[in-house]
Amino acid sequence: MKTENQIPHDSAVGHVTGEAIYIDDIPVNDQLLIGKVVYSRYAHAKIKSFDLSEAKKVNGVYAVLCYKDIPGHNQMGPVIKDESVLAENEVTFIGQAMFLIAAETEEQCREAEKLIKIEYEPLDAILTIEKAIEKNNLLGPPREMKRGDADSALKSSKHIISGELRTGAQEHWYLETQACLSVPGEGKEINVFSSSQHPSETQALVAEVLGIKKHEVVVEVKRMGGGFGGKETQANHVACWSALLCHATKRPVKIRLFRDDDMIMTGKRHRYLTKYEAGFDDDGLINAVKLEFNSDGGAATDLSFAIMERTMLHADNSYYIPNMSVKALVWKTNLPSNTAFRGFGGPQGMAAIETIIDKIGRALKKDPAEIRHKNFYGLNDRNITHYGQTVEHNRLYLIYDQIIKSSEYEKRRKEINDFNIKNEFFKKGIAVTPVKFGISFTTTFLNQAGALVNVYTDGTILVNHGGTEMGQGLNTKMQQIAAAEFGVSIDRVKVNATNTSKVPNTSATAASSGSDLNGMAVKNAIDIIKERISKELAQIWTQQPSNPPTLQQSILFKEDYIFDSDHPERKISFSDAMLQMNLRQVSLSAAGFYKTPTVGWDKIKGQGKPFFYYSFGMAVSEVMIDILTGQYTLLRTDILQDVGDSINSGIDMGQVEGGFVQGIGWCTTEEIKWDAKGNLMNHSPDTYKIPTVQDIPKDFRVKLMEGVPNPVGTIRRSKAIGEPPFMLALSVWLAIKDAISAVGNHKFEPEFSLPATNETILLSIEKLKGKFHSPTLYESTDSKSRRPNPSKGGESEVSSREGI
Amino acid sequence: MRSTISFILDGKIVDLDFKNSKQFSPTSTALNYLRSFPAHKGVKEGCAEGDCGACTVVLAELVDNKITFRAVDSCLIFLPMIHGKQLITVENLKTPEGILHPVQQSMVDLYGSQCGFCTPGIIMTMFAFYKNYDKPSREQIDDALTGNLCRCTGYRPIVEAAAKSCVHNCVDHFTNDESKIIKFLKSISKESIHIQTDNQKYFRPASLGEAISLKHQHPEAIIISGATDIALRVTKNHELLKEIIDLSGVEELKVITQTDSSIEIGAGVSLNDILLPIEKDFPALHEMLKIFGSHQIRNLATLGGNLGSASPIGDTLPILMAYNAGVVLESLNGRRVIPLNDYIIGYRKTVRKPDELITSIIIPKLTNGSIIKSYKVSKRKDLDISTLSACFRIDLDGSMVKSIILAYGGMAERTKRAFTAEQFLLGKQWERKIIEKAMTLIEKDFTPISDARGSAEFRLKAAQNLLLKFLIETKGTN
Ligand SMILES: Cc1cc2nc3c(=O)[nH]c(=O)nc-3n(C[C@H](O)[C@H](O)[C@H](O)COP(=O)(O)OP(=O)(O)OC[C@H]3O[C@@H](n4cnc5c(N)ncnc54)[C@H](O)[C@@H]3O)c2cc1C
Ligand code: FES
Ligand code: FES
Repeated sequence: MKTENQIPHDSAVGHVTGEAIYIDDIPVNDQLLIGKVVYSRYAHAKIKSFDLSEAKKVNGVYAVLCYKDIPGHNQMGPVIKDESVLAENEVTFIGQAMFLIAAETEEQCREAEKLIKIEYEPLDAILTIEKAIEKNNLLGPPREMKRGDADSALKSSKHIISGELRTGAQEHWYLETQACLSVPGEGKEINVFSSSQHPSETQALVAEVLGIKKHEVVVEVKRMGGGFGGKETQANHVACWSALLCHATKRPVKIRLFRDDDMIMTGKRHRYLTKYEAGFDDDGLINAVKLEFNSDGGAATDLSFAIMERTMLHADNSYYIPNMSVKALVWKTNLPSNTAFRGFGGPQGMAAIETIIDKIGRALKKDPAEIRHKNFYGLNDRNITHYGQTVEHNRLYLIYDQIIKSSEYEKRRKEINDFNIKNEFFKKGIAVTPVKFGISFTTTFLNQAGALVNVYTDGTILVNHGGTEMGQGLNTKMQQIAAAEFGVSIDRVKVNATNTSKVPNTSATAASSGSDLNGMAVKNAIDIIKERISKELAQIWTQQPSNPPTLQQSILFKEDYIFDSDHPERKISFSDAMLQMNLRQVSLSAAGFYKTPTVGWDKIKGQGKPFFYYSFGMAVSEVMIDILTGQYTLLRTDILQDVGDSINSGIDMGQVEGGFVQGIGWCTTEEIKWDAKGNLMNHSPDTYKIPTVQDIPKDFRVKLMEGVPNPVGTIRRSKAIGEPPFMLALSVWLAIKDAISAVGNHKFEPEFSLPATNETILLSIEKLKGKFHSPTLYESTDSKSRRPNPSKGGESEVSSREGI
Repeated sequence: MRSTISFILDGKIVDLDFKNSKQFSPTSTALNYLRSFPAHKGVKEGCAEGDCGACTVVLAELVDNKITFRAVDSCLIFLPMIHGKQLITVENLKTPEGILHPVQQSMVDLYGSQCGFCTPGIIMTMFAFYKNYDKPSREQIDDALTGNLCRCTGYRPIVEAAAKSCVHNCVDHFTNDESKIIKFLKSISKESIHIQTDNQKYFRPASLGEAISLKHQHPEAIIISGATDIALRVTKNHELLKEIIDLSGVEELKVITQTDSSIEIGAGVSLNDILLPIEKDFPALHEMLKIFGSHQIRNLATLGGNLGSASPIGDTLPILMAYNAGVVLESLNGRRVIPLNDYIIGYRKTVRKPDELITSIIIPKLTNGSIIKSYKVSKRKDLDISTLSACFRIDLDGSMVKSIILAYGGMAERTKRAFTAEQFLLGKQWERKIIEKAMTLIEKDFTPISDARGSAEFRLKAAQNLLLKFLIETKGTN
């Protein structure tokens, strides 16, 4: 029986044999048409006129559509209705959909596209956060969260630092580009096969756009070739477009974006411009922090405000900040609407506070590790966040003590200092960074999930749930949960494609919550079925009058059998039992439901308990930089991650390592630039560089904590794992900064931004070199900063406080 | 002469006649060809430009009567390029009894796939690797996998799967089939292929003589060797290439000859096949080729192609310049050897005449005492196009500079030497003070541009620093 922790991904064999099916692989009859999206070449322009007549004449072309051909609403904004399906009178970014073409072949689509005549009148475009600020072009009202009085606390602080931090955009680069196949059904019905993280929303938008009812739209998601947030809202777009063409032609229509088009048309991780001020004492204890986050929302709202909210809620990362003020502004620009991406605003918030900590370390000539430890949330006091939630079950100290030891942090810190003294042209750096990540959707009602479990008379089980599989192993975990709850072997359980007609009204598979929510819903459905079976079996086994009765609660499901634990001889195989149940008219199908208890968040006040619990983790990274070229090498990373009781440690390890490496990309080589006209310059893998196998740490030591069940009641006491590891990559980023800083003997604050490309690194080094001749020891942007105490070296004193 | 191509797929010889094909043209890619069959949807498109490896397939061919297995990006392969070869896809890896190949099994066991979209390509890379390496080193594994992007796993389990599975002496069920496949491969005629369709002419000559006369008759025809540059015009720009002369079937261009004083490398030798022969005597070229593109790219790309493109960021050009290499050009009018210094005359412009082919590159060995080093600066260390590159060569007389070549790529519209700095250094002491002065002179020769890969400021700074790096590497830090 294989219910153990280590079963492989449920699609692994399909993956390695090429038999696993993605949207573009679905067999379709020869009626299939290929859809193409014609998009704006201007960042901001009036559409003066357009002419589709020639395009329509192309051989093999079945439809060329514009906004006037939309039968329902020309809207596909997920929260705020500010995103048209097809542009009407104005285009507001390069890549905005204007027209749709369906033809027999891609070549015919391209030929038709060339024949579309459009007359634009270019308008002034806003392409940077700075310009948006200058023009006061906000996407919505600013928000603020406050605790204490940051302003006066700053004034009374012994030291103050301040500055600006830029963090860059990031392209999801899921290997499978956005894709959707729509197949017409009877009457108004339509079946949509989508690569979407949020099938219920896809269904809703397709219905609205086609002007039909939700029960006429079925959306199915078998699996995605990667999502990472990029298919949370923006997969809806492709679905709406293909549905429109399907509706117009009454034929199956498939749209699969070409890689460059995908990169040009879809949103990215929000780039931020963050302003900060922090006050602290001689020991580095933080007294006050003021932050102003400015994000580039792009041309429409999408999820920008929810993302910004998570930034605000993670601007403390793992640190207690008695006086805190967080201001947040989302700016509207003429770029594609930025969207969800693993971490969902968390990374940008953490990058800011970690920069502050790092700077404090340099200002005080202390190891930033020491500053981090000093400011961690306390176990019993100093444990309330700036938004009022108590940090319970704090594992920061436990993890810190373990990882500092296992990574030999202090010894290596000394070795690195020695190396740096001896080497002029190569410098090493090291950093330890923590992550405390809140688990739950901060829009509280979204914390719900449904499932539909069917048991068949041969004893096999089919699980439907509302979550979607994008590689994270959700279906595998659901399979394991179902097998364990039913006490049967893994092979009896299959997890079905996610389908809106099986499980309705679901939330997106996002916020790392897929297993937490859907796992509980699956369990709930199984509990219902087991209850029915137990009741029936108790009756059967009690029927003979001489028998002592079988108590329903004594019936156990184990090892493919069902038995009475008080009378183990009363036993039936799982398969036989299912046949019996059917003969005795017991329903073997049940819908399950779950909502997260005890969360509640007042968005207006910015107070409450938005998170069910926190996930903790830490990483230590060591890098070496070549100070003549700015190239860096990631020598070693140690990670210790808290996943509670892991449901599947192989899968969880994959989430940790994969998330971390994706984070390395964001922190180092993944650079997005737009030119002066708003064209994406890095629109293909030729110039957009995600990590290859050579970019992972040369020495990579990842561990999941063991024997630490989630203290709160999650499914099998596990913890969410999808997003938190992403932010551990800030250790790489700050190790690079530490190495740069070594060029100036840690006396000067290096210029730094994210990503730390070789260019960023080299130019920062060159500026530092220029400062060698300057007389000041430590440069602060504020004159109040005292001269650091030169007697204290860079070594950290790590106390060994007990964790829980 | 024939107009159909033949290759082995799914254990059978397939003949493809483009004249009668509505679906495929001679510039259709192997990727699109395969994906048109329900049974070959395993091969995936992730980028259509050779950067992601999702489309990786393996080509098996006969070399010296033995089958060689090479991973290539099927999105870059025009169908006639697989003539006479076996095309192996992920669907072929299970045994006929349905047992997973060792590379597949270890990927399953070690959680090597998450979303699975990159996986078929990774499996094929690993399969070719399995057939070529036994008990590989980490470095070899990393090198083989560089051309396969995975956005989910973080690669560690994939590396482990390769290490764990490649331990069976390269033996698998393909070994059992070898004699049958060899027979099949031998049965496919090597004669030249001329394909003519409504709007395209595609020639695949079988000899150099034929290639030269074809180029004479069709001076406008586009030459392809590995097609790693040219294929993008089809897959990314959707151009119709009207006339093509494909040199991939010309054996004379795949020859390497070594003498005491030089090496002559055929224009059609794949870069991977160059690596070993140049390792000892041409370290600067070797260093650069090791990180050129990816393993899949190097299985196709050639020196002829790099010289043919003559791109300002062609990585071999500064090196060939510093080695004083000669480009051998041939036409019906004969053969001439052009020193690299004189070969490139402008942005992607060379002295090659329309009827000439590049047939080989002659690289003289270094004279005693010469030191040569190459450098590549790119955003990502591997599988990236240079932001800038350089190759420096110096001859010292004691500590005095006797001769020096400072060749740069990515700093101007063409590969170019820093003549002002070179002039300045001649006859001077090879020491830091002098180099620091020479660094300031780089600006006199170059005004680089800013683009998606880097800013002008960065390029200039790095170009200057590379000089210092060269000094340190030749002398130590003082
Ligand atoms: C993913 C990827 C990564 C790459 N990485 C690198 C890299 O790291 N460094 C780098 O420098 N380049 C790189 N390239 C570019 C390309 O691989 C090289 O330029 C390669 O050397 C081209 O060789 P080829 O045989 O494939 O050329 P082809 O595409 O066949 O030809 C290139 C050009 O040369 C001409 N040509 C080819 N052979 C001859 C001949 N015998 N006589 C006359 N003209 C000829 C062709 O007409 C064409 O104009 C990369 C390309 C890709 C797709
Ligand atoms: S599809 Fe990406 S390399 Fe071929
Ligand atoms: S498993 Fe998803 S890209 Fe590799």
